This record gives sequence, structure tokens and C-alpha cells, in this order.
Amino acid sequence: MTSDSKPISQFNLRAALALGAACVVVGFSLFPLYIMITTALKAESDIFSWPPTWTFSPTLQAFKNAFLLFGGQNVLVFLFNSVLITAASTALAVGLGSMAAYALARFPFRGSKHLAFFILSTRFAPPVAFIVPIYLMFRSVGLIDTHLALILFYTSMNLSFVIWVLRGFFADIPIELEEAALVDGYTRWQVFLRVALPLVRPGLVATAILSAVFAWNEFLLANIITQRDAATIPVYLSGFSASMGIAWGEYMAVGFFAVAPIMIFTFFLQRHLVRGLTFGAVR
Amino acid sequence: MPRIEFDNVSKRYTPTTHAVKNLTFAIENGSFLCVLGPSGCGKSSTLRMLAGLESITEGEIRVDGKRYNELKAQSRDFAMVFENYALYPHLDVYGNLAMPLATRRLPRREIARRVGEIAETLQITEHLRKRPRQLSGGQRQRVGLGRAIIRDTRTFLMDEPLGHMEAYLRQQLRTEIRRLHEELGATTFYITHDQEEAAAISDQIVVMSDGRLQQAGDLLTLLDNPVNKFVAEFIGNLPISIIPAAVASNFGVPELIVGGARMPLPENRASLIESSISSGGSKLEVGVRPGDIELFEDSAPNRLPLSVTVVEPLGDSAVVVADGPAGRLRATVPADTAPPPGKSVHAEFDPSRLLLFDEAGINIFRTA
Repeated sequence: MTSDSKPISQFNLRAALALGAACVVVGFSLFPLYIMITTALKAESDIFSWPPTWTFSPTLQAFKNAFLLFGGQNVLVFLFNSVLITAASTALAVGLGSMAAYALARFPFRGSKHLAFFILSTRFAPPVAFIVPIYLMFRSVGLIDTHLALILFYTSMNLSFVIWVLRGFFADIPIELEEAALVDGYTRWQVFLRVALPLVRPGLVATAILSAVFAWNEFLLANIITQRDAATIPVYLSGFSASMGIAWGEYMAVGFFAVAPIMIFTFFLQRHLVRGLTFGAVR
Repeated sequence: MPRIEFDNVSKRYTPTTHAVKNLTFAIENGSFLCVLGPSGCGKSSTLRMLAGLESITEGEIRVDGKRYNELKAQSRDFAMVFENYALYPHLDVYGNLAMPLATRRLPRREIARRVGEIAETLQITEHLRKRPRQLSGGQRQRVGLGRAIIRDTRTFLMDEPLGHMEAYLRQQLRTEIRRLHEELGATTFYITHDQEEAAAISDQIVVMSDGRLQQAGDLLTLLDNPVNKFVAEFIGNLPISIIPAAVASNFGVPELIVGGARMPLPENRASLIESSISSGGSKLEVGVRPGDIELFEDSAPNRLPLSVTVVEPLGDSAVVVADGPAGRLRATVPADTAPPPGKSVHAEFDPSRLLLFDEAGINIFRTA
């Protein structure tokens, strides 16, 4: 009996340790989120109490302040700007990028490797380095403080990354799958849409998430070329802390709404991230 | 059904690497042609040029007399079956079968009817809702075949469709493919490296090597009348024995000298020697198939002395591998008369079935 139970208890111990470690990591990751949400729900007096209060009576005052009263301008406008700019630039980057990546993966031509490298090289310089020229260019074409300016900028920033990731995904598709469709009467365009794109879905999802996160979080350029009409949530958050001192409750309430959309977006897409969809295609 | 012609077709991937050289042959309307050759012989390039997946460097491919070189793959109206099945992993079996019809704007109900019919023919009805990765190799290739025949195409291109399967499945499916051919009568271009499969399935075999067409014909022609040493060695389930030989004159009548044995020749073969070999000093080799050798215990002037090295039993018969100063021979004998290893034997060749290769490997005894 003892000889039987020993390996089992060892196994359980190992599982328990793994579970414990996982809990610590998850707790560590979620703790800031917890602080953010609770701070937003606390009354002013509870926020700064020491030692911190773990139990408190929640209030929606901070949310009310942030969304209805604050600064005379509605935070929902900024939220809308962020959603619009992120959605548009992500769709453009992934849409255009997948076509470019497919072309680079499937139609090699003289110098196509150099072209691919050139595309990657656009990411070599840090964004700060070309903020001024970008600003001057946008000003000369009258795009300062417009949605279009940020959409174009984020699209171009994400495009090189999307192209490089998807090029690898497309190159991994067994060529016979596309040839089978071609022989069956599909045009190149139909092959791209009906065979190639569905097979790189994990790549599309991954690049879409990363593009969206970049566009959603970008602050530097947004802060410089937008003031009111096209300003995004990060811009709003920064202006917020400067002009009012820091009203922590309201700050966290807006912060919650700045984080939530991108979390939901990622949450729903990440289950498509599974690799190995192409397994079993050939052989 | 279309007639397909290759007219002096060449394929170069780089200026110096020839994949296919000056290929000329035709597939008659509705016939089943097998291209047989070792890997790297250019047979796949040939098929891909015909399919429109590869450009043609030189020459012309014609279908019913019409030049196809510039026609895009999707306009050629061929159906193709791939060695690795090439099923769409993101679609189930139904979706895979429906793919070729979906681009043709057929009504949904018509598609469902066709898919049902094809699934019935190929006995895959119960798998229609499965993904390709849930199927076995044999089932996958049935789907591959189904996807090819669903379109009522008049030409099939098959690139080693049974290459990845176990022996018994191969036999089962090749019967199926031949049955479909009898039923549909489509012109079929089939690639394989398996001569037994080629013989079983096709009307005509084209042997390729090194990018060139070596010989075309049925299996019997290729076995008895190979054009050169390559075909002689490549064709035949049991390997042919090739040993050095010389020609000598016996009162003006040519005879073969093989390892000390003098072999008189039938008149037609003797005259072929006279017309082909003028110098008499050229290096010659004689080729003899295992079934055309008889082994004796007693010596004779026309028998080659050998000693048995290995005996490979094949059931009713056995292959005797015997070595002598001239080289190695393989002979088939009835299993119960096989001499044990180490024993000396004397081999007599059937002179009417000998092959004789000159220095360039050309078969001098080719009659057809």
C-alpha cells in the first residue's frame, strides 16, 4: 500500500506546486488591474487610507465624475477616436499586409529579398527620430488633428511587421494546396481569398492583435499631432493628470475604459491563435 | 476526349540545368498513359508543364491541336491528383469535394447532389463531415480522386497518387483508378516510379530518365525489346543480369563469347550483329533476364561456370544468385530444384531472348 501511494502523492505534490506557481503568476499579473478597478470604486478617503483598506463600500462617484462632469469634454469622444483609429489602422495594416506578404511569399522576382528587407528596415529607426518630419509632412497636407493622420501613421508602422510575420505563414502553406485550386479553375485572387487566407488565420489573428495594441497604446505621435478632434485615450489620460493634479479615482475609472476594449478584443481573438491548423493537409 | 501532344518540349530551371530535354510524344484520346522513371528524371516537371503550373522553356504542348503553352492553369480544364493529397485542411470532406464546383456558380442543391454521388462512388459517404486530418491515407486519396472527378473533366493528371500508401492499399486504389478510367474514359496522364503499378493501370508506358524520353510502349515491349541498357535495367521486377561479352566468328557466323562460354545465336540475331558491329573491337555487354537462364550441373561449351552465392526463395520459385569470373547472374528456378549456396552450376542462356548492348548502351538486338 505504501509503495503504491508514494508515487501518487509525489505526482500530486508536483501538480500542486505547478498550480501554486501558476496562481502566483496570474495573481501578479492581475493585481494592477485589481488595484485599478478598486481604486476607481473607492471613495476619495478610502484611496489614501493607510494601511490600505481591503473592504470598503463601493461608489460610482469616480465614474460619474469622469464620464459626465470632468473637464467639460466627454471621455466617450476620446474613446470613440481610439476605437475608430485602432480599428481602421488594424484593418488596413492586416488587409494590405497580407496581400503584400502573399506576393512576397509566392511570386519571387529579381530583388524580392531586397524589397522584403527594405520593408523591414522601415522599423529600424526609433519613432522619435522621425516625429518631426512626420509632423511637418502632416502639417503641409493639412492632416494635423485628424483621424486620417493617425490611421495612416499606425498603418505604416504596423505594415512592415505584418508583412514579415505573414510572409512566413504563407510560405509554410504547402504549395500543392494552391496548385490544386488553380487547376480546379480558381483565379489567383480566389486562391488567395479561399485557400491561402483561411490557412494563415492564426497569423492574421496574431498580427491583428499586436497591430491593435500598438495603435491603441501609441502616445508619442498622437500627443503631438492631435489636440481635440482626433485625440485618443492615451492623450486624454495624460492631459487629465496634468491639468487637475491627479484625481486618482477618476483617473483609474478612465483607465479601466482605456484597458477594457483591447482586453476584450484580445480575449476573443486569442482562441484562434492555435497553430497546427495546417496539420494533416498533406501526407 | 482530348489528344495531348508534347512537341520537342524542354524545361530549364536555370540556363544550364535541364529538367526535361526535347520531349516528344502523344497521349491518344481517352487513353491512359503512364510516365515511368526514377526520381529526378523529369516526370513531375513534365506533368506540371502540362498542368500549367510550370512554364515551358522550349517546344509546344498541344491539346487537340491547340497550343497550350500560354494558357493559364485555371483555363486548361484539367483535374489533378497529388501525391500528398493536397486536401484543404480548413474544409471538411464535403467542402473539399465541393471546392471545384463552387467556382462554377452551380446551385447549392446541384452541388450537394454531385458531392453525394461522388462520395457514393468512392465509398466515403460516412466521412463527409470529417476533416482531412481525421482520415487515413487511403481515405484521403479517395477524397483527392473525388475532387478530381467531380467536375466532369475530360483530362486527369495524376502525380504519383499512390506514392505514400502501403502496398495493399495501393493495389486496391489502383484498381479503383482504372475502374474510374473505364467508366469515364477520360484521357489520363499518370506518373509513377512503380513499374508494376504502371503495367497494371495504363494502356501505354513512357519511360523517362535524365529528362529524356527513353522508350514508349507496353510492358512486354519494354521487357523484351528495351531500347537501351537503362530501360533494360529499370524495367523488370527481378533485375536483369548484365555481364561483359565479346563477338567471335565461327567459320564466318558470329557467336557470343561470355566468360569463356561460346554461345551460338539464332540467324536473325547473328545478322543484327553483322550489320551493327563493324569494328568488332568495341566493348559489349550481354543482358539476360532471370527467367531466360537455365542452370545445369554438367558443363558444356555454351554454358557459363558459376558458383551459387545466395538463394532467395519467392514461394513457387527461387532466385539463384551466382557469381563467376565474368560477373554476377540471377536466375529463377523452381523452388524445389534450387541448388544450395556454394554449389557450382553451369548456366545456359536462351539465345533467342538475349539482349546485347554496345559501348553507348544501345540494345543491338532490338527488333521492334
